[in-house]
Amino acid sequence: MMMNELLCGKLVRLTVENPDVVVEHLSKWNRDSELARLEAARPATPYTKKQIKEFVEKELLGDHPDLFFFMIRALQDDRILGETGLDGVEWNHGESFVGISIGEREFWGKGYGTDAMQVLLRYAFCELNLHRVSLTVFEYNPRAIRSYEKAGFKIEGRERNFLERGGKRWDMLYMGILRQEWQAQAQESE
Amino acid sequence: MAITNLFLGTKVRLVVEDPQVEAKAWSQWLRNSEYMLLLDTDPPVLWSEKTLKDRIEKDLEESHEDVFYAMIRTLEEDRYIGFLAFFETFWNHGDAWVAIGLGEAEFWGKGYGSEAMHLALRYAFNELNFHRVTLGVFEYNQRAIRSYQKVGFVEEGRIRGEFLRQGKRWDMIFMGILREEWNNNNPFQPG
Repeated sequence: MMMNELLCGKLVRLTVENPDVVVEHLSKWNRDSELARLEAARPATPYTKKQIKEFVEKELLGDHPDLFFFMIRALQDDRILGETGLDGVEWNHGESFVGISIGEREFWGKGYGTDAMQVLLRYAFCELNLHRVSLTVFEYNPRAIRSYEKAGFKIEGRERNFLERGGKRWDMLYMGILRQEWQAQAQESE
Repeated sequence: MAITNLFLGTKVRLVVEDPQVEAKAWSQWLRNSEYMLLLDTDPPVLWSEKTLKDRIEKDLEESHEDVFYAMIRTLEEDRYIGFLAFFETFWNHGDAWVAIGLGEAEFWGKGYGSEAMHLALRYAFNELNFHRVTLGVFEYNQRAIRSYQKVGFVEEGRIRGEFLRQGKRWDMIFMGILREEWNNNNPFQPG
């Protein structure tokens, strides 16, 4: 049985931080409306630090057995560059949704997000023993789609014209990866 | 896929009741120290209905996702006769412990407990999708051991002489059942 550092990848590691550290970073990233529009369908909205603090304490760092939330730190300088997590784990089916956000723009498109996702998938399949991991992504976010494909996700379906942004309607894509697909890919890269 | 009511058997059903209902039943059951000696390692104690209700309410407030708790009711007279619980659930390993107790002694040895445990296992393997279920039973509780064997549990190990009761040392016996055992060779046909 392989015992390596489960939450550490090639470029990043996943950590759990105190509420004040999480709040500080989420507040900062919340000022970037483009980030918000890449992440969620609800209107990009600025929130007060107090609102974010309540959300972090209650939702993200609360005692929820179906949620695993991490901050992402760069190995090179230990900077916090984003957050990721498994949410809505359906334990009896071995299924979960995954979310990821790279808040620091200078880390976009350089493999940090892909590495963080690979670490999280290893955690999902090797420690939580899940059967599949799902995500949704918007059609206008090809950088994310490429990253998810690199991590092994396949497009499984789409909700056509799900959202309207920039005067156009866009699809929401469903992507997923099965345990055996992840295992085959992990063996190849060894 | 057959859609059956997982909580309904032919003699009993599994229900969840408000704290005061449960407390009332438990306050009666505690009065039978024989029941408590079969159920638990702690010395039997008596608690009032109020104390029990407070404890149950506190447990509910702290409600843990790794716990499933139900009462057992007879179909015939709709009486509360016992309880059933899953606890120490390890979701990532698909493993949990099960506990059962029939507080109403007149229902012992008549198949009510076996059927309730059968319902519990059907729920565990068909809906919660567990890989295995574990239980602990005291060596001197032969009736329970036979009942567990009837629904498919096998002995997996024992702690020798763990308990001192009535001047004798007794073993703690661990029993378990795997999903494939239950699927392939379910020996218990309720009825």
